[in-house]
Amino acid sequence: MAEYRTQMKIIGDILSTTRDDLQDEDGATVTYLIRKANISHSRISRILKTLVSQGLLEQADSQGSNRYKISQSGREFLQAYHSFSKFADNFGLNI
Amino acid sequence: MLENILNLVGFLVGLAIGIMSFVGFRNTGSPTLFRLTIAFFSISIGFLVIWFGYMLEDYVIKSGNIDRGIQTLGIIIQTIGYFFIAFSHSIKALFPKSNYFRSVGILPFFLVSTVQLEHIFRSISFILLVYGAIETILSYRDNRNKGAVSVALGLGLLAFGEFLGWYSFVFPESILYSISMTIKIAGLVALFIPVSKVPLKKIKFDDDLDKI
Repeated sequence: MAEYRTQMKIIGDILSTTRDDLQDEDGATVTYLIRKANISHSRISRILKTLVSQGLLEQADSQGSNRYKISQSGREFLQAYHSFSKFADNFGLNI
Repeated sequence: MLENILNLVGFLVGLAIGIMSFVGFRNTGSPTLFRLTIAFFSISIGFLVIWFGYMLEDYVIKSGNIDRGIQTLGIIIQTIGYFFIAFSHSIKALFPKSNYFRSVGILPFFLVSTVQLEHIFRSISFILLVYGAIETILSYRDNRNKGAVSVALGLGLLAFGEFLGWYSFVFPESILYSISMTIKIAGLVALFIPVSKVPLKKIKFDDDLDKI
C-alpha cells in the first residue's frame, strides 16, 4: 500500500533532492523533481512557487528551462525539518 | 509539601516539552507540532494551576485540603492537553476500527458513573492517554523508532497515574494521591527522554554540502 505523505513530507523530499541529489551544478529541472518527489506537475508547480517566494529555493533560468537550487534558508529549514521529524516520530506522528 | 514539589516538577517538564514543540512549529510551520505545543503547554499549565491551589492552601487558606474548584480546573486544563495528544493521531482516535479498541472506547461509560466534574475529566484523560499510548506503540511497528517506546511508556504511566488519582477519592487521606503524582511525573520524564535528544542548537552543515 502506498504511504500517505503530508504536504510537509513532500516539501522535505523536494528540498532534500535539491540539496543532496542534483543532476548538475545548475540545479534541478521540474521534470527531474517530479520524478524524484513522485508528484504531479500541477502540484509541484504550486509548491515550487511557494518555496521560491519563501526563499527556501533559488530559481535560475539555465539552458532554456527553470532550474531550482536550495538556498541557505532552505538548508536550515531542511535541517529543522529532519530534527523535528524525529521529534514527531517519537510520538508516532508525522509532521 | 510533596504535592507542591511534584506539581512544580510536572509544570517544568511539561513546559520543556512544550517549548521544544513550539520551536519545532516556529521552524517548520507543522500543524502536528502546533497541536503538540498546545498539548504540552496545557498539561504544564494544568500542573501549575494545581500547584497554585496547594500553595494557596498551605500559606493562605490552611484548611488542610486543596480547593476542589482549583484542582478541577487544573485537571480540565490537563485533559485538554491529553485530548490534543490523542487528536494528533487523527480521526482514528475517534473511530477505532478494531473490535478491541472499540471495547476500550466504551470504558468511559463505566468510568463516569460519578457526577463530580473532576472524576469525569480524570476518566476522559485516562481514555485519551491509553489511546495515545496504544497508537504510539503501534507506530513502533512501522518505524522501529526506540523513542516511540519511551513515549508510549510515558503516556501509559500518565494514564496509570491519572487512574490512581481518580481512584484516590476512595482513600482521600492516603498516600495514593502522592503515588499518583509521582507516577505522572515519571511518565512526563519518560516523554522527555527521547524529546531531549532533538538538537535545538544551530546545526553545523557539512563542508561538502556548502560546495553544491
